[in-house]
Amino acid sequence: MKVRDFVRRDLSAVERDTPVARAIKILENSGLSSLPVVDEEGKLVGIISERDIIRALVPEYVDMLHSASFLPSLDRLARKLREIENHPVERYMKKEVVVARLDDSDLHVADLMLRRGLKQLPVVDEEGHLVGVVRRIDLLSRL
Amino acid sequence: MILTVTPNPALDKFYWLEDLPDDLGLTEEKSALRAEKSMTSAGGKGINVSVFLAAHGIDTVAMGFLGGHTGQIILRDVLARGVGANFVWIEEENRINVVLIVQGRGYHPIHIHEEGPRIPKEALEIFLRKYERMLLRAHYVVLAGALPPGVPPDFYQELSRRARARGVPVVVHAGGEPMLRALQERPFLVKPDVRETLRFGDMPLRTKEEVVAAGRHAIAQGASSCLISHHLTGDVLVSVDGVWEFEGKVPPSAFRNVVGADDALVGGILVGLKQGMDLVESVKYGMAAAVASAKVDEKLCLEKEKIAEELAQIEVQFRGKE
Repeated sequence: MKVRDFVRRDLSAVERDTPVARAIKILENSGLSSLPVVDEEGKLVGIISERDIIRALVPEYVDMLHSASFLPSLDRLARKLREIENHPVERYMKKEVVVARLDDSDLHVADLMLRRGLKQLPVVDEEGHLVGVVRRIDLLSRL
Repeated sequence: MILTVTPNPALDKFYWLEDLPDDLGLTEEKSALRAEKSMTSAGGKGINVSVFLAAHGIDTVAMGFLGGHTGQIILRDVLARGVGANFVWIEEENRINVVLIVQGRGYHPIHIHEEGPRIPKEALEIFLRKYERMLLRAHYVVLAGALPPGVPPDFYQELSRRARARGVPVVVHAGGEPMLRALQERPFLVKPDVRETLRFGDMPLRTKEEVVAAGRHAIAQGASSCLISHHLTGDVLVSVDGVWEFEGKVPPSAFRNVVGADDALVGGILVGLKQGMDLVESVKYGMAAAVASAKVDEKLCLEKEKIAEELAQIEVQFRGKE
């Protein structure tokens, strides 16, 4: 099976200057765990994930997130979030993005996700335009 | 890719009733209406057009505004039907439209329409940026349906202007002031929604002659072609090349659900155009799609074989250049 057979054709994305607060809202509503960042032509230039935003809030804790006991309180995160909520996502996005293409096989995508520990991959066409995303659940539900 | 814009998406909820009492004051034992069947689907004119196109294997992306739990259901349904989705998320909930269809009266559904959420200025600005991006990949743009609160009446005019600047032909599938204002941006096709008013601006649409006059007025205002329904199974196409009448030879009693038939009509026209048919042949295919859709319970008939069967029932008559 090819990616084109199970790609989620959701073009939910943000631009480089989208404020962090807006990205959080879109993440909440779209059910995606990360958002592609696109340029004026719709070409993929980065990705901003829940984890990237958390990393921006408490860099020293980011590798300990498997246990909330490391956090003294959520107040600190809330204060920090207020500080960065109007910052453009460009400041926190990853610029080197692992992508899938429409003619990639399901096995190739599964391998990428497993090896890189990714929940979701953006899918691009030949010119680099965003055409959708593939989530782990999209693969699992077709097994 | 065909881009559709639905500023006011809806979750359409259909109920089929055996009967609807004349007196809704009702005695206590009759105050509950039991539905024989119900159906729920993402709706709004542009989304319906996209669903039709996707079923015909045509690459299509739907745009508009989504919000709340209803918005999430709409998105899920749109994606499940093979339509690309590029919506702007807002805080308020999308609307739910209820349609009651009484047995034997599928040609006359009862609608309960919500107004829809208020669209904030910030969401409109985000939409326009997304729209500009999508125009770069679009072969046609369909601007469809009523505008929700907060969206200015010149919205379709502005979207038409931007599409025209990029050389993308526009289909305006809407009514009222937003449709009238878009005319000056020279849309390729206008399909006015005249269901509620039976008017085209100030012009009445009671007779075939009045329909033709309204179509000519649309052309004079800038549209390349205008398709107006003058009754359930009859449409008139007016273009700079002449006037054509289309008639579906089907009795209204054959109709089970006419909601969405006009969206199948627009979808069918675009399918025809993408397949290389001329406009008149495309409208004929669209009419067949509309009739086939009205004959099934679902909002849209997506079976090409059933549409092909209806083609033979569509009569086309050229009424001349004048």
